[in-house]
Formats: sequence, structure tokens, C-alpha cells
Amino acid sequence: MAVDVFYSLEEQAIITREPRFFPPTADWRSQLGRKVVGACRDAGRAVLLLAEAILCIRSVLTRRSRRETIHQMFVGGIKSLTVITVVASFTGMILALQTGIEMRRFGQEVYIGAAVMVSMLREMGPFMTGLILAASVGSSIAAQMGTMVVSEEIAALELMSINPVRYLVMPRLVAMMIMTPLLSFYSCIMGVMGGGIVGMTQLNVPWAAYIDNAVRFAENKDLFVGMLKAFLFGIIIVITACHQGFATTQGAVGVGNATRRTVIMSFLSILIVGYMITRLFYV
Amino acid sequence: MIQLENVTKRLGARNVLDGVNLEVRKGETLVIVGPSGTGKSVTLKHMVRLMTPDEGRVVVDGQVVSEASGRGLELIRDKFGVLFQSGALLEWLSVAENVALPLREKTKLSNDEIMSKVVEKLAMVGLENDAEKFPAEISGGMRKRVGLARAIVTNPEIILYDEPTSGLDPVSSRMIDRLIEHLRKELGVTSVVVTHDLHSALSIGTRIAMLTQGKIIELAEPAEFVKSQVEEVQLFLEAQFITVRGEWEKNGK
Repeated sequence: MAVDVFYSLEEQAIITREPRFFPPTADWRSQLGRKVVGACRDAGRAVLLLAEAILCIRSVLTRRSRRETIHQMFVGGIKSLTVITVVASFTGMILALQTGIEMRRFGQEVYIGAAVMVSMLREMGPFMTGLILAASVGSSIAAQMGTMVVSEEIAALELMSINPVRYLVMPRLVAMMIMTPLLSFYSCIMGVMGGGIVGMTQLNVPWAAYIDNAVRFAENKDLFVGMLKAFLFGIIIVITACHQGFATTQGAVGVGNATRRTVIMSFLSILIVGYMITRLFYV
Repeated sequence: MIQLENVTKRLGARNVLDGVNLEVRKGETLVIVGPSGTGKSVTLKHMVRLMTPDEGRVVVDGQVVSEASGRGLELIRDKFGVLFQSGALLEWLSVAENVALPLREKTKLSNDEIMSKVVEKLAMVGLENDAEKFPAEISGGMRKRVGLARAIVTNPEIILYDEPTSGLDPVSSRMIDRLIEHLRKELGVTSVVVTHDLHSALSIGTRIAMLTQGKIIELAEPAEFVKSQVEEVQLFLEAQFITVRGEWEKNGK
């Protein structure tokens, strides 16, 4: 049974409206093979989409793109502030409480500031921000792009010789490249504040000592690595969402599937990339 | 102007287009009719390379569109205006901004010049008073008319219409028909119209093609089309209560 899964880059348009149909098979090896090839193809297309979006970045200087980018910064960033504030504060509070309880056994609870700050900067800040944005902004982008594909709006843009990657992907990419590190930094501040409140009220750690330890133990490298992670997570979220949205077929069901796949793939990518960066800088 | 040469397109196990040969002549309005799911919209999509044939080729003004890419494809597409079935309007832009979009993105016209063209085209489709509304605030028929205004705002040489009158009230349908006629007669625009509405097809078409099971089974001028002996054509005509009593004549021709 010949299965046409290897086809040229020319055929592999990033925005495809020519779905490939494969005959059903009960052979698990064929199914596995198709899934692996499909995953590689998706990853390749996502990278191509990213490359094309980066090539379009200079057009962000035009008035319309600038306005759209600022709008996307507001939609993706500012509107996520509430949920990030709540999640980051409680994460900091939990971190402080858990580490503080253990450290109190050794009389070292005064150092919870350092523990919370380092954890938030290195891992929890970018990680939580990434997950929240993947679930809220990523899913929303995928649903919007998917609906635009289904209702032929993307085709209309292409026929007007308006590059959908420049018009739709690039402003979102730039917005998230800026907003994700900023939100990550903000979540770190909120986490440290939350931890400080718990330290003060539950563990009798003075605010000044808490902040002093937090600042003393944190290094520039922690901040840099955290921001780097957040920056990459922003790219992952937008490219995954746009790629999945553009690949939507089968109407409303397809839009739902694209949204679901965006969240799952963004979560997995964030975890894997987060680990790899930690491994790169701290081992 | 447009030639489809032996175009075959498979979707799944089915040949949606099965060796279609079709020529669209400059300045004519070719109407493609046929039952649902026989490949009418797919044929239109091949003309602007939203789809690529598995076999055969599509030629527009001597350029092979089915093999074009990048800037070459853009230049070919610039000759076209396309009205999609749903209108394909961007939801976050107002009616006026939707119509202005191709001018804003592709030309260096001033805002005043763009808006004057937008108002003119909106007036042509009877929506000059709805310019500030958003797509969510207007009916399906109005969306389609906005889509038409957007398709013609750049004064393209060729306009493709995918079901231009479906979902429209009879008065709006006839207005769209008149507009298609006007564009052909006054401006020499070449049009390809996909429709189920034979009344509309007979009224606006200079030639009518019947597409069934991926093949063109009839291609004739309206007066000949209604007399066709092809069974599917007769069924199609009868289903829309069109019968030939003596000589069928098209008004105004």
C-alpha cells in the first residue's frame, strides 16, 4: 500500500487547504509511522512559519503593523494580568510556606526569600506565565486563525496579495516576544511579594530580612535565563497556535481540534524547552 | 484569457475534477452550473491557485498559474477579484475598512482617495449607508455585497463569483446580476460565476457550462443551453421551472 506522505516543500504550503487523505489501516506500525512522520512534518512547517514571520518582522515599523502589534500586546498581555497576578502570588505563597516549614526545622526560615526569588526567576515565573498564555492567548489565536481559514478569510487575504503571515502572525509574534518576558518578570515580583506576605504572617520572617535575602541570593544569570525562557515560550505559543490554526480543516470541529492541539503542544514544548535551557545554563 | 487544460483533482478517493477542459474568453461572463459537490468551487479555486491540479494545468493570460509561486503568483492574482460564498470579511474591520483593505495594503493612495473609491463601490452594491457597521452587525446577504464591493474595488480584469446570489433576497439577487452585467458591458470585465440559480445564469451568462461528476457535460450560450438534449441539463432546467416555449430569448440581447 503506497502512502504518499513524503512530498516536496513546494507542495507543503504553510497554509494548506488541500487535506491529505490516507486509507484507514489496522496495522499499528503503519499508524505509528504516520504519526511520527506527521509530527515531523508539523514541526517542519512550524519552523518554516517562524522563519517567514521573522523575515516579515521589519514591516512592524509600518503604521498599521505597529498599531496591530500594540493591540496584540494589550490583548495578549494586559488582559492576562489578573490571572497572572493571582496565580503568581499564590505560587509564591505556596513556595514560601512549603520551604519555610522545612527550613524552620533547622532555624533557617529567614532564607525563604532566597528560595522563592530563585525559584520564581529561574523556573516558576516563566513556566507559569508560559502555561497561562498558552491556555488563554494561544488557544484564542488558534481559534481565530482556524475560523478565518474555515470562513475563507485567509484565502481572501492571499488573493488580495496580502501575506497572512505578515498581516496576522508577525504582529502577534512581536507582541508576545515583548510581553511574555515582561509578564514573566511581573509574575516573579508577584510571587516574591506573595511569599513575603506568608513569611511575615505565618513564619515570622521580617519583611526587610525576606527582601534582603531574596535580592542577595538572586543573580543576574537567573534573571537572564528566566527572561530567555519566557521569550522562547512566547515564540512557541504564537507559532504553535498560528500553525495549528492555519492547518484547520473540517469546520467547527476542526477549529476545536486546532485549539486543543495548540494547548497540548504548547504545554509539552514549554516543558521540554524549559528543561533544555535549565540543563544548558545550570549543569 | 483563462484555460483549464485537462485538469484533474482528487480529494480522497474521488476525482472532484476529472480532466476538465474549459476556456474563459476575454470580456465574457462564463457561468458554471451543476449539482452540489461536483467541483464548481474547486474549479474556481484552481484559477487563482488556491488549489493545484493533480494533473493538467491552468493558464491565465499565457502564464501557467498552476505552476506559479511567489511574486509571479501575486502578479497573476492581482488580475483577479474574488467574491467568496460567505463574503470572507475580516470581522474586526468595519464594512468600509474591509472594502478599503486591498487599497490600503497594495497602493499608496491617500486616505481620502481610498475612501472615495470605497464609497463609490459601496454605493454600487447599495450599502453606502452601512459603511461604519461591522460584519457581525449586517445580514448574510449584506456581507456578500460587501465582499463584492471589496472584490471590485481594485478594478480587476477578471472577477470570480462563488454563489453570488445564494442567500440573497430576490431584489438583491437581481441587483447583483445587474452589477455583473454592468461590469461586463461597461468595463469589459471578464467574469466566471458559479451558481445554482439558473434564472441568474441565463440572465447574466454569455456562456453557461454544466459541470457534473467532475466533467463539463455542456457548454453553450444561454439560448442553446436551454435547448440542450443532455439529460442532466434538462433535469436541472425542469427543477427550476425553466422550459422552452418556442424561441428562448434573453432580454436586452
